[in-house]
Amino acid sequence: MKLEALPWILLFLPLCAAGIITLFTLRSQKLSAGLSIGAIVSGFVLAIALIKSGGWEAREFSLNWLSIGNLNVDFGLRLDALSLMMLLIVTGVGSVIHIYSYGYMHEDEGFSRFFACLSLFTFSMLGIVLANNFLQLFIFWELVGVSSYLLIGFWFDKASAADASKKAFLTNRIGDFGFMLGILTVFAVVGSLNFAVIQEQFKANPALMGGSATLAGLLIFCGAMGKSAQFPLHVWLPDAMEGPTPVSALIHAATMVAAGVYMLCRVVFLFTPEALTVISWIGGFTALLAALIAVQQNDIKRILAYSTLSQLGYMVMAVGLGGAGAAMFHLTTHAFFKALLFLGAGSVIHAMHHEQDIWKMGALRKKMPVTFWTFLVGTLALCGVPPFSGFYSKDAILAQAWHAHNYPLFVIAVSVAVLTAFYMFRLFFVVWVGDVRSAEAGHAHESPGVMIWPLRALVVLALFGGVLGINEIFAAQFSAAEHAEASEHGLTLLQRIAEPFTNAPVAAGIGIIATLIGFLTARGLYATAKSDPLTSKLGWMSRAMANRFYFDEIYEATVIRIHDLAGTISNWIDSWIIEGLCIGVVRGGTDLTGRALRLVQTGNLQTYAFLFVLGVAVVLWLTLGK
Amino acid sequence: MSLEISVVALGLIVLLADLWLPAERKRMLGYSAAAALLLLFLNTFTSHCSCSLAEGPDNMTSAGMFIQDGLAVFFKRFFLLAAVLVLVMAVEFSDRIGAGVSEYYSLIVFALAGMLFAASANDFVMLFAAIELITITFYVLTSFQRGRVRSLEAGVKYLILGALSSAFMVYGIALIWGTTGKFNFQELAQVAGKFAANRVFLFGVVFFLVGLGFKIAAFPFQMWTPDVYEGAPTPTTAFLAVGSKATGFVLLLRFLFTAIPDVAMHWNKLLIIVSGITILYGNLCALPQRNLKRILGYSSIAHAGYVLLGVAALTTAGESAVLYYLAGYLFTVLAAFAVIALVMRHLNSEDLAGLAGLNQRSPLLAATLTLAMVSLAGIPPLAGFFGKFLLLKAVIEQGPANHGYYCLAFTALAGVIISLYYYFGVIRAIYWSKETPDLSPIEISKPMKMAVCFCMAGMFYLGLFPGALINYAAQVVKSLK
Repeated sequence: MKLEALPWILLFLPLCAAGIITLFTLRSQKLSAGLSIGAIVSGFVLAIALIKSGGWEAREFSLNWLSIGNLNVDFGLRLDALSLMMLLIVTGVGSVIHIYSYGYMHEDEGFSRFFACLSLFTFSMLGIVLANNFLQLFIFWELVGVSSYLLIGFWFDKASAADASKKAFLTNRIGDFGFMLGILTVFAVVGSLNFAVIQEQFKANPALMGGSATLAGLLIFCGAMGKSAQFPLHVWLPDAMEGPTPVSALIHAATMVAAGVYMLCRVVFLFTPEALTVISWIGGFTALLAALIAVQQNDIKRILAYSTLSQLGYMVMAVGLGGAGAAMFHLTTHAFFKALLFLGAGSVIHAMHHEQDIWKMGALRKKMPVTFWTFLVGTLALCGVPPFSGFYSKDAILAQAWHAHNYPLFVIAVSVAVLTAFYMFRLFFVVWVGDVRSAEAGHAHESPGVMIWPLRALVVLALFGGVLGINEIFAAQFSAAEHAEASEHGLTLLQRIAEPFTNAPVAAGIGIIATLIGFLTARGLYATAKSDPLTSKLGWMSRAMANRFYFDEIYEATVIRIHDLAGTISNWIDSWIIEGLCIGVVRGGTDLTGRALRLVQTGNLQTYAFLFVLGVAVVLWLTLGK
Repeated sequence: MSLEISVVALGLIVLLADLWLPAERKRMLGYSAAAALLLLFLNTFTSHCSCSLAEGPDNMTSAGMFIQDGLAVFFKRFFLLAAVLVLVMAVEFSDRIGAGVSEYYSLIVFALAGMLFAASANDFVMLFAAIELITITFYVLTSFQRGRVRSLEAGVKYLILGALSSAFMVYGIALIWGTTGKFNFQELAQVAGKFAANRVFLFGVVFFLVGLGFKIAAFPFQMWTPDVYEGAPTPTTAFLAVGSKATGFVLLLRFLFTAIPDVAMHWNKLLIIVSGITILYGNLCALPQRNLKRILGYSSIAHAGYVLLGVAALTTAGESAVLYYLAGYLFTVLAAFAVIALVMRHLNSEDLAGLAGLNQRSPLLAATLTLAMVSLAGIPPLAGFFGKFLLLKAVIEQGPANHGYYCLAFTALAGVIISLYYYFGVIRAIYWSKETPDLSPIEISKPMKMAVCFCMAGMFYLGLFPGALINYAAQVVKSLK
């Protein structure tokens, strides 16, 4: 088989799986799951084959989709370090989560539909990763939105799930509107949508966009703001936890929400320094805000959701600080340990018969030992304890802020690290240690093997993801100079382990201290707590955090009110003026003409013959009459 | 000419085989004929036919009456493919025809032979003989359900109006010959310019075009269409809508652009008016209809109008758009009629209500009919969209020279919008009907299933990957000059 076909197969396999499941195998659970899992696992194998055969070199495969005259539309795939790594994450973590879902969704009625949606999502996500131009990226971007809508609202008979899916879709659309305007601005100036072509043009003439450069950059950032749930469009992600837990792990932790960061890194050359400043502050603010909210949440999945928001804020901040490589590094390790944490949470929820309140759990450590150990590793990785993967990637971001001499953001990042350790160990102590707080917690038992083995697989990645040299691959992508250096003498394992301390010892030291502070505070407060002691200590502050700083209420009172009003007015205009006056007259007229003309068609042969000859006479008059 | 001879021989073999075949094996006869035609179709891609694409006039035989150029080969492939699908449909329909099924098959094959000759006709004698071969077989094919009054009525109407149009046509030919003394198209082309102001000659041209207008069902010669479409057995209707109409267009293209190019250049006004009114008439009349075959009858009038857009543009872009559109139309219309033939098999009339619950009775047929309607309405990514796109593009490109073309493009768009209503009415009848009297599953034979899937694939292929056919069509129309 020709090598060019590989990426195409990789991309379209999940789509085929989704199509076949929807059309033919809905009734057979095993077959549906097999198809879906098979598609993504072969995708993973193909991704490895691609890297083995072509290395991390940048290459493009494009097909001429249609060409009419001057209009040429290409459908192209781009492979480089960035997209290949992302491919590995999406298919690798995705495979693990697919397999886990087989156990988690086992008793669900919509089992096959679930796998069809998962495969559709995988297809869309791979499309984003492989796109070589803005148009294609945007199409798949929207497809991801659609499949995420389907998955969040998977249990659509539950009103909260249906609302959450709507909210996610609409909030994303707001960001996408800005994204589309940004794409059009770029297209209007550059005249091409292909990333490589745009980059070439920027290289040749950095002032290409002139005054509109910052605006275009910020508009494109709007897209990332929606998908990666950055303030002020962050409100959809916590609600999205209404979806099944594997969905939360796959979409709202490892892949879809990472798409925004991935896109920023893909087109990082577009952003002006002003735009980057805005991006970094929005990222930093989101990180802090979400971490504060997470401190006072009681739903196990919501805590993880706000933690995801906070970590995404980290990544966006890193992009804004000029550290696209650090952002991608953190994205990768985050995909590993956050997927691990979500799947662990899913295992707990499964054991607790869909109870998600952490204050009803407790002392699960002995009942679910495997989940406990894996969850602990995920927690340590997320908090940035060396030598877990999260330490390396978080340190890369802290170091980036340090080296950029942006001390305000550095302080924010460190406070976020403190808060992260605090809320994660709060969760840890309440769920796993302490006393049994409910009957369900007493009867909990370990999940089946098909759910446990994916956890074990992710543990390995969460443990060692930081020292595999992933950051070097990304660094090579984002600066050509380092590329030569890195490829000549790649770091040894020991150097990699020690890298944070040689690179920016201050940042690494402060990071570790921050984690320690968070851990100690959490242990002091929660190691033996029966209920949350902070609620009374912090007073109104705690209520504000628990109520997510009232963002939903504020939006409800302003944006949604105004929307409803505008909707009512335009509905009136539509139904009376447009529908009644304009369309009504046209429709009535057309209908009447149709009925009148029908009368001509009498079925009478004499009439037909007469009209025929009359027609000949008219044509003759038209041609020869003058 | 070996292709035509083979087809005529096939028709005779089918007739003769009927004498010896036992009644229960008649079904196989239809399939065998379809298979034989399929082989002939595939053969056009391998044998000498394809190499004759190179250049036109060298391949003339029989004293210039018969021409085997790119255009002829294109339409021969078109007709063969249509006939294969129609024959498969006819087998499925055979239990409603009753006696004489084999004659029905052989008449389809003979009509096909006429179309093949028409595709190669290069002078008036050949043209007229081919047209009469088609028309007369169609008289019989239309009234083949002798037990059904509607079928007989349709046959008689088609016969009388057809005879009328043939009279005009032959009169027109006589006048053209009388003034110029030429039968052959190439020879006529050399002298036609001199006669551009000769009223008797123009009289003849108009009369001749009236005959072609009847074939393609263009306004004001469209009166017969709905009645005949409704009354005729469904496979006949399908062949009429695809084969007979395309014959009209290949002859129209040849006559206008090979025989009288100098005269045709001044006729854009007439073509614009005819095309515009045909589109509006077909679409408006279809609005109040409830009978599916009548809807498709009016829709076929409207589509004749769309195809005339490409002719009216008087450019090679327009001509190749005509070919592209007809190819898409072939798959779409045959898919629609195949579904009608299957679903309405046991019903007396083809009322829309008969479609109720089709999505439960047969998801495949429901999907096919939906796609066919969507394609007819011209919605991407199906063949119909791209066809309309190319036609409108050709027309709008002519706009700066003559503003009438802008009006025409606008009219066509208005027609498309009107048509959405009744096409989606059909879709609504499938999925959202209140009353669902009969929910028994519909049995479909294997060959029919293949034919239906083939049509669907064709619609998608032409809509998604139009490049290949556009290039082919652009190459083919070069042989017109």
